[in-house]
Amino acid sequence: MNSIVFIGLKLLKERKRQALVSVMGVAIGVAAYIAMSSIMNGFQKYFIKQAVDVNAHITLKVEEADDPDRILKAAYGSDIIADVVGSKPKELKDKITEYKQIIKRYDNDPRIVGIAPHLTGQVIITYGTKEKSATMLGIEPAPERAASVVDEYLEYGDLDKLVSDRNSIVIGKILARDLGIRERGKKVTLVSPSGGIYTLKVVDFFNSGITSIDQSRVYINLRTLQAILDKPNQVNELIIRVKDVNEADVIADQMTADTGYYAESWQEAFGNFLQIFKMQHWMTYMIIFAILIVSAFGIFNIMMMTVLEKKKDIAIMKAIGYEDSEITKIFVSQGLLVGVVGAVAGSLIGFGLQEWLESLDFELQGLMRVSGFILDRDPYYFLYGAVFAITFSFLASFYPSWRAARLFPVDIFRSGG
Amino acid sequence: MILEGRNITKDLRENPILRGISIQIDSGDFVGIVGASGSGKSTLMYILGLLDEPTSGEVLMDDKVIDFRDKKLLSGLRNKKIGFVFQFHYLIAELSALENVLVPMIKNGMNKEEAHERCYNLLSGFGLKGKEDRKPYQLSGGEQQRVAVARALANDPEIILADEPTGNLDSKNSRIVMDIFLELNHKGRAILMITHEIEMAEETNRVYEIKDGLIIS
Repeated sequence: MNSIVFIGLKLLKERKRQALVSVMGVAIGVAAYIAMSSIMNGFQKYFIKQAVDVNAHITLKVEEADDPDRILKAAYGSDIIADVVGSKPKELKDKITEYKQIIKRYDNDPRIVGIAPHLTGQVIITYGTKEKSATMLGIEPAPERAASVVDEYLEYGDLDKLVSDRNSIVIGKILARDLGIRERGKKVTLVSPSGGIYTLKVVDFFNSGITSIDQSRVYINLRTLQAILDKPNQVNELIIRVKDVNEADVIADQMTADTGYYAESWQEAFGNFLQIFKMQHWMTYMIIFAILIVSAFGIFNIMMMTVLEKKKDIAIMKAIGYEDSEITKIFVSQGLLVGVVGAVAGSLIGFGLQEWLESLDFELQGLMRVSGFILDRDPYYFLYGAVFAITFSFLASFYPSWRAARLFPVDIFRSGG
Repeated sequence: MILEGRNITKDLRENPILRGISIQIDSGDFVGIVGASGSGKSTLMYILGLLDEPTSGEVLMDDKVIDFRDKKLLSGLRNKKIGFVFQFHYLIAELSALENVLVPMIKNGMNKEEAHERCYNLLSGFGLKGKEDRKPYQLSGGEQQRVAVARALANDPEIILADEPTGNLDSKNSRIVMDIFLELNHKGRAILMITHEIEMAEETNRVYEIKDGLIIS
């Protein structure tokens, strides 16, 4: 056995209890990192996937707001510095007039998988004595399938019924529950903004897991909604599905510039959530960092005590030929060993925690509706956890080890040890 | 010449401790150095043992001048060519008697079987057979010092430097250690022993007396 490892192990073995405490500190830090990362990223990835899939990678909308400087800029150029204190907005567009040309234009773009037209509008739905406001989404099933994954979230997969029976709807699961509709085939009454009353049949339920969507969304045939809202041949939204979701913001910017409509990427639409997730990441990692720092101090403490207690041994080791670098390695090896054992133990505990968390079965309703924890079991969490732990352990043991190597043996021999 | 010091001086915080000492030790020599406390005998041993650097003068090993800036060379020479015995045994408490003797050998890269065999032979030669696995605290003072002597001989060094090796022992154990040294010297091993016990020094081949940093006789 290598002399450095041999002596390092022997010294550590004599401090079993303190070493065990440090190992446990490191292990808890690693296990916490693995479990927390799995839960947090699992939830976030699931949320983003669901939200992005259910909504759209890019939504092309009519312009949302006017530019109050537009007249000044038109008159004096875009370089003008002006403080506009008030402006009457010009009439907002409420439809995408040339949507067929836009669809045609991007049809062959290799970055785009599908484009579907939407007409959206707010209505009141009544079932028996209950009434709820809902967001109607007028769709064409075929392009909708290409541009979204709506089929995945239908309980009966009957989206095509919107075509065969134009007076049918697919209703959000929570909205249906709130209205008291438990089975399909029920007829609901719909009141349009202009006061028109329509009777429609529920043919399917939509259950994405995202509470805000499931409690408000209703799918309906595009033509039917156009008739209800008195907007013949109009659409006010195009949804676009892209090949690479990470490219959505770039494509959206380009579409905004190309079409003059406002293209919103999923990154922009869920910007607030992404920001919250980022903060959540920071807070979690700071807690884990604190755990690892505490265990690093534990290692530092053991190493400093060992060095102080082992002055005589360091002196004799130098006398019998050990170099400064070897003395450093003897002590660093102890810190590293604590780190490695802690990382292995932490990984095992982390794996056990993942198994346990995954086995839990409970219903959770908040931002999303989930049964149990959704874990992201990326093996890299184990790798990162181990790397953090070993790095912290190395850093914590380095200074005491360096101090040990700098001891001058003659001083210790002179003082009689 | 195994070990030679030429006109060695050493100042500690501007106080001269050694003031020009020259000494030669050849194989088979048993040199005793006596002197009062603070006369500079231990300082001389630390310099000859390459643990400390002289302020001026030269140390030669096997007729080669030692470059004190080359720390790797100094460590290597201490490991292979010099064996140290101190007044206190300085055994590593966590290691057994055998492991303490093993430490210089594994540093020297000796193979495991050979090192273990040599450890057993050394320890049994010093009356420690059956006690190889004992920790230092399980041994008597005399036994601890014998393990320290065995450790000094681990890599079969050319010379043993001993600083008051019997200073912490009773007369019986002092005698045992001294007899070991005499036997080693008899077999040709060079020994430099620092002592303040005149009767011990008289058993060596050559005695130097140091006073105020100078050899006076």
